[in-house]
Amino acid sequence: MLRKTIALTLLSASLIATNANAADKLIVSTWGGSFKDLIDKAIGQEFTKQTGVEVEYVTGGTIDRLNKAKLAGSAESDVTFTTSHVGWLYTNDGLFEKLDMSKIPNASHLVDQAKLSPNHIGVWGYVYTIGYRPDMVPEGITFDSWNDLWSPELEGMIAFPDWDPSHIIAVSAKLSGTDAEHWEQGQDKLKALVPNIKAFYTNDANSQQLIATGETSVQLLLSMNAYHMMDEGVNIKLAMPKEGAVLGVDAMGINKGSEQADLAYQFMNIALSPEVQASIARINRGSPVVDNAQVDPEIAKLPGMLTTADQWGATLDTDARLRAEKTAEWRKWFWENIMAH
Amino acid sequence: MTQRPAFVPWFVLPSVLTALGLMVAMLTVLQYSIRAHIPGSLDVGGYTLDNFQDLHKSIYINAFVTTAWLSIKTAFFGLLLSYPLAYALVRTRSGWMKSTILIIAITPLFLGEVVRTYSWIIVLGNSGFINSALLAIGLIDKPLQLMFTQTGVVLALVHVTMPIMVLMLATGLSHIDPAYRRAATSLGAGPIRAFLTITLPLSLPGIVASLTTAFAWTFSAFATPQLIGGGKVSTVATLVYQLGFSSLNFPFAAALSIVGLMLTVLLLATFKWMTHSLQRVGAH
Repeated sequence: MLRKTIALTLLSASLIATNANAADKLIVSTWGGSFKDLIDKAIGQEFTKQTGVEVEYVTGGTIDRLNKAKLAGSAESDVTFTTSHVGWLYTNDGLFEKLDMSKIPNASHLVDQAKLSPNHIGVWGYVYTIGYRPDMVPEGITFDSWNDLWSPELEGMIAFPDWDPSHIIAVSAKLSGTDAEHWEQGQDKLKALVPNIKAFYTNDANSQQLIATGETSVQLLLSMNAYHMMDEGVNIKLAMPKEGAVLGVDAMGINKGSEQADLAYQFMNIALSPEVQASIARINRGSPVVDNAQVDPEIAKLPGMLTTADQWGATLDTDARLRAEKTAEWRKWFWENIMAH
Repeated sequence: MTQRPAFVPWFVLPSVLTALGLMVAMLTVLQYSIRAHIPGSLDVGGYTLDNFQDLHKSIYINAFVTTAWLSIKTAFFGLLLSYPLAYALVRTRSGWMKSTILIIAITPLFLGEVVRTYSWIIVLGNSGFINSALLAIGLIDKPLQLMFTQTGVVLALVHVTMPIMVLMLATGLSHIDPAYRRAATSLGAGPIRAFLTITLPLSLPGIVASLTTAFAWTFSAFATPQLIGGGKVSTVATLVYQLGFSSLNFPFAAALSIVGLMLTVLLLATFKWMTHSLQRVGAH
């Protein structure tokens, strides 16, 4: 009888402990590597400090996590970090909760470009622009204009991302006098770029390896990755073409059916606090998406940092919903007409 | 007569369940291939054959041809490098030499394909080991372009497939009765003649098996063509990823996969038919 009582007590205690553990953590879906470290350092640790709740991270590629969320059928994480246009795919497929903005008071300071949808909002900004090895490009080339990418002196020198041609499509459209919605008018301009393309990189790590080793001395790359490599000692310069760098906004949303929605709202509110936004700029050179963040002036003046309305307005901003709709069409055209040649 | 225990047939159950699972997965892929893509959504639309129509374009046919050609080259050069290693592994009498060759042959398996491929990026790069060595000894005066080329992809794929080819060839060679070779030697055949007339023909089943495996494995290779090829070497697997998976156009990815599978089966069946008589030579 005593043994049974002890066994039952132990079993009950373990069940209670398990349930308590489940309530004591917030599961955040994010990219791995430096982005996960950024979220943990800037947001997660502050969240744990304020609430006492631990954060557990689930990492993976943007599309991998989207597919898993679609297939799971129920929320396997509480908060998801993704890109602005993939956030629309989450939204369109009912994978995000509709946000109650009254629970995210800090969101009242969001810049317009970060107000993405009723279901997801921006968390930091960056630009896709020209990064280059000044020791390896022809002398005198400084990329004052996007048109410089078409210079015959850059034959066989440039690398582009293979998973998203939306940036160079937006650039070609702009140089052809239109915008991404009417991208067909920029197709000839894009085809003329083929002789200068050396390779296509497949992810951030591949991009960093190719430019660090000098395999591709010019790239269209993400500003935050460029600053990460500069911190690692790689000799890279970022150019800000006069037509404007291509805007990127990373976003967050609450997974539909999350049982920790209240904690998720607290997490998102902390992420948008001016102090956390300033630390994101300091740690990884991500631009704050709120207008009340106090960014160190030395960081604010770096190429690609967006800290004023004018700077945000000067970027080439492709509507995230349009990007979500056009992704498949752009990729197919890009592969058939650019990559396959 | 001893009766087989009643539970023995149940041991077949795991393999039956696995086969059923694979079949269901394949049927799902087939079903996706005849559904319409809805831009901006993960859902699929009604039934259609449009996904297969685009595959008639020359650039897609080129991708299939490139994949088949890369697979043939990888299997062939893999065989050229693996056979001597497998032969040495089987024939050497020294225990430590056997262990050394085995370790050299299979150690690459301990690393994943991605890690090995990233290492090859360093070796093949303009400032990599190969170019640095060739420049240092004066064989070339400017770096060879090995990255983003079929040559670079084949080099890396041969390294990926060699461990398995060595093991398969060694298994085939170890089954050859040494009495045959001794008989040939005692009748006056020199080592080379004995190898060409006895060992090589009798090892043909192992050669065919390793070529088939290397071909099939390479046909579906993804990480190596993706990273070393740099988007300039398009294979079926990289296309499925770029145009299907990453673009969320799963129906088109499914169509690519189905056609790729059919092409693999066709080529392997053709190879089996061509080597049927050779395999009978090796049967003993």
